[in-house]
Amino acid sequence: MDGLRRHKSMFLLPGLLTLLLIIVFPLLFTIRVSFSGWNVSNPEMDFVGGANYVKVLQDSRFWAANLRLVLLAGGTVLIQYLIGFGLALLVWRNVRARRLWRVLFLVPMMTTPVVMAAVWQMIFHESLGPVNDMLAKLGIAPVHWFTEAGPALAALMTVEIWQWTPFMFLLMLAGLLSLPKEPFLAAAIDGAGAWRTFWKVTFPLMAPVSVSAIIIRLIEASKLSDTVYVLTSGGPGSATESPGYYLYLRGLKEQQTGYAGSLSLTYLVLMVITLTIVAALLARAFKVPRQSSKAKEQ
Amino acid sequence: MSRLYATFKYTLISVWAGFVVGPFMWAVLTSFKDANGVQGGATYLPWVQYEPTLTGWQNIFGGAGGVDVVRPFLNSAVITLVASIISLALGALAAYGLSRYRFKIGFIANSDIIFFFVSQRIMPPVVLVVPFFFLLQWANLLDTIPGLVIVTVALLLPIAVWVMVDFFNGIPRQIDEMAMLDGCGPFGAFVRAILPNSVPGLTVAAMFCAVFGWNDFFFAFRLTFTEIQTLPQAVVALNSSIPPWWTLSAAALFGMSPLILLAVWVERYLSKGSLPGVIR
Amino acid sequence: MNRKQLTKSLAVPVAVLAITVAGCSGSSGPEQKPDKPALFKPGSEISYAKYGKDYPTTKVKDVPGPCSYESISRKDYSGQTLKIISHAVPVIGEPTQLHARQFEEITGAKVEVVNVPFGELHQKILTPLQAGQPAYDVMFYPSLWIGDMAPYLVPVPKEYLDAPGMKDVTKAYLGVATWNGKVVQYPVDGDRHYLKIRTDVLADRKHQAAYLAATGKQLRAPQTWAEYQEIASFFGGKDVDGDGKPNFGSAEVTKRDDLVFSAFISRAAPYVKHPDVTGGVFFDVTTMQPLINTPGFVRALEDMVKAKSTWPAGGANFGLGDEIFSFGGGQALMSYSWDDAFIQAQQTDSRIRNRVAAAPLPGSAEVYNRNTRTWDKIQNQAPYFTWGWTSAVAKTARNQKMAFDYLCFFSNEANTALDLTIGRFGVNPYRNAHFDPGFWQAQGWSKDVATAYVNTLSGMEKSTNRVFDLRVPGVNEYMSSLANGVAAALAGQQTPQQALDAVAKEWTEITDRVGKDRVQEAYRNVVALEDNS
Repeated sequence: MDGLRRHKSMFLLPGLLTLLLIIVFPLLFTIRVSFSGWNVSNPEMDFVGGANYVKVLQDSRFWAANLRLVLLAGGTVLIQYLIGFGLALLVWRNVRARRLWRVLFLVPMMTTPVVMAAVWQMIFHESLGPVNDMLAKLGIAPVHWFTEAGPALAALMTVEIWQWTPFMFLLMLAGLLSLPKEPFLAAAIDGAGAWRTFWKVTFPLMAPVSVSAIIIRLIEASKLSDTVYVLTSGGPGSATESPGYYLYLRGLKEQQTGYAGSLSLTYLVLMVITLTIVAALLARAFKVPRQSSKAKEQ
Repeated sequence: MSRLYATFKYTLISVWAGFVVGPFMWAVLTSFKDANGVQGGATYLPWVQYEPTLTGWQNIFGGAGGVDVVRPFLNSAVITLVASIISLALGALAAYGLSRYRFKIGFIANSDIIFFFVSQRIMPPVVLVVPFFFLLQWANLLDTIPGLVIVTVALLLPIAVWVMVDFFNGIPRQIDEMAMLDGCGPFGAFVRAILPNSVPGLTVAAMFCAVFGWNDFFFAFRLTFTEIQTLPQAVVALNSSIPPWWTLSAAALFGMSPLILLAVWVERYLSKGSLPGVIR
Repeated sequence: MNRKQLTKSLAVPVAVLAITVAGCSGSSGPEQKPDKPALFKPGSEISYAKYGKDYPTTKVKDVPGPCSYESISRKDYSGQTLKIISHAVPVIGEPTQLHARQFEEITGAKVEVVNVPFGELHQKILTPLQAGQPAYDVMFYPSLWIGDMAPYLVPVPKEYLDAPGMKDVTKAYLGVATWNGKVVQYPVDGDRHYLKIRTDVLADRKHQAAYLAATGKQLRAPQTWAEYQEIASFFGGKDVDGDGKPNFGSAEVTKRDDLVFSAFISRAAPYVKHPDVTGGVFFDVTTMQPLINTPGFVRALEDMVKAKSTWPAGGANFGLGDEIFSFGGGQALMSYSWDDAFIQAQQTDSRIRNRVAAAPLPGSAEVYNRNTRTWDKIQNQAPYFTWGWTSAVAKTARNQKMAFDYLCFFSNEANTALDLTIGRFGVNPYRNAHFDPGFWQAQGWSKDVATAYVNTLSGMEKSTNRVFDLRVPGVNEYMSSLANGVAAALAGQQTPQQALDAVAKEWTEITDRVGKDRVQEAYRNVVALEDNS
């Protein structure tokens, strides 16, 4: 048994310890600083008790940003899933120039969010950008992309969908390509049409991939901040602030390190709980058998 | 396939392709404009609607009025490459351990360790920037490539572990056992029998590492001063109160070029049919 | 697991760290090399033309002095590195880059410049300063941050203060660079807000007649914000300059994370700066009670919300660049902010060159008196000395002499003369020599435009009822909070009163956080400038 232990540690520990070494100090620092009044004018690790956390509870901008995330992350991920799955089905089989489409559909996720957001900012520019210009040619009044809450949210979500649908597309296409052939043959023998085959065969087989793809995207989408930072700066007013961007404002821009520490820990706890619940709900909705850890006793 | 369905299918594909390509096209057009081409409103046709110039492109390659992108490009490349290799190596080892053995440290089991890795992705990076600053200052690594590599590993390692655990779970255990029967130790079995079968998984993990490493902005921005600039920083340095859109566009296009090649590479694996097994 | 195994597993990450630690090297101390022969003859002709098509072909003469091309080119800084942080390209970032390249060429030094967007500059500079990290030798930043930066700055040495170029800096701008009696910032720019108008519309007979017929009033450069609003809404949405595209009344800087706070203060100045009331505009300096939610400020914010109807599409999210494009590009008929839009409109390639005029900021017909809590009906004007770009040398700089030589070279007479004429550079008049209409006429400006410009600028220097920025520690937090409030009101999320009440509450919290005594002590300096005491 001793030999086995030695081996298993040899595999796990280098990675685990590296991560721990890198992350432990920042994590402890954040926890400690969240109980201090550290800010730009007094960068000191004093102790103010739970004052920061009381303030977090009363911070309506923070909670509004969290609520908004339901739309910004939940909404965009859902749309990304639908479009990504749809595109994957479209270029799965029997399509001309298949490889061209596949490369094209992957490209946006390879681009840098802050950089692309700068490009999108030019595109949505209300008087100099092509979007309003083309709308005008169609006789539609200019849309106030960055100066009205609704359009600003729409612009932000468009950019998110553009950027990250490829991620869904990749996972769903890989999933489709790995499906076994037999169930489809069986369905064909039964004389099932395309629609019925999809709902009875394809969709159930794709359920596990779907759930993990959605969860991963939710984790990543919840951190949304680079795009907000460049595209809307959270405006108009605070209409497009995400929690990630709000943390940036408080923690880095205003340098309220202590307060930002408590905001971020609150956010972390909130996200862990929410994501756990969402994962369970998704698994139930997609009727996925609970994925047990496949590690077996040796 | 009915003709109607085919039309419908290609229409959808074309619409999405147009949406994907649009922003790139606009960046290309803008990169050949100058102030006069931008100020008057949206224009599309070079020579007809605006006089194309090379100013934007000259500015990013050493022109006096821009920001040089060549050194940042090399910095980004080195940081991404080194951090990805370290993350893949450590991540694959850890993932293999987590996939094949059962760990129990007090109440902590395998799934908890996997969760610990994955949970590192939940924390917004902005939060960790301040402590990382002090950490790197203490190690005298601010504004250096090694400093950024360490931080980037913390970003990438969780992704590598996540992808590889799932992948190793899908490789039949008989392969390990056969290798061990051939006289390999556990480590030998991993290197001789498992790794050669893991190229697709490593490809996907490498792609994610490259994407997230190359595209990181906040860490690189906060933890460097003047010596080390990465590409996203060089582009953001142009996001001024009077943005030179042409230079910005040229820099943006230049900065995303290597990862577009990555998309071609990944697609090749997809079409060869070796990637699909990665995600199950 | 035995101990040997543990050490083995630990070895990998530790090795990673060890390799990386070994990778960095210490820096060598400054060494002063003997002077080398000058590369320039006294009074050589200087031009930027060789740096690309983007630069004017204008030539100027190198003015002899300690900062001239001739003098600086004698210095030998080969083998040394100067680290500079500046704003994003082009505003102040581009001249920083350009002069860095020239400095490299003539002294042999290696100059590394990093450019950072406006919203990031403050913490990018301050974090390493506070942490004692020698990150930058020279820093370019908005002058109003002096309260945060001053403890970490080297006072400008006497030899540089005695340079003719420095002696010529106007009293107001030297005052802005001074902290507790010491000049700690090196002036490279002088800024203020003023009004910019299109004379081809506002001084046009036909338009004047139409305006008189419609409103019964004379069309002129607006004297009050109410008049500004009337004119802006009268011409808004029509093509009045005949270029085939609709014009708009007003373009203003309104973007929250940009410079909206400065635009708002411009609008508020005449309502809040009572010529007979002393003791602070933003705070009551004796109690440090915020005044930001008093009726004067509220009125200004109400004005600004009303003005929304006169802005071009996207006008409620304009950064400075948008404002410059909008006025400088001939879309908006009136605007107020820094010089940049005006210089842009006056550049040789501009469509509206010599069809613009500068005028003092609009005033008001009444001003709030916070002592008597009444609106006094007097015609009030209050120029706003907005922050401008400044530069400074950090105490941690490795070679302070080289750092100051760079700044002195940056701002030498020849460079400044050229920089002043390039709108995107963001370098604006700050020396007495710049307030000479002849200088501007030599750049191709018409006599009227040049005279009005110079008079507007020098008139501000002469005024005794002026508003200065809140130059106190934590100013960024105060202004960020104010910008939030203004943005909330502009977006219709709150009424102006509600928004500013919230700002006042936050300001009190910020003051407590920073330390009331520190803020008060710093604010006294500002109030002293304002009260001309």
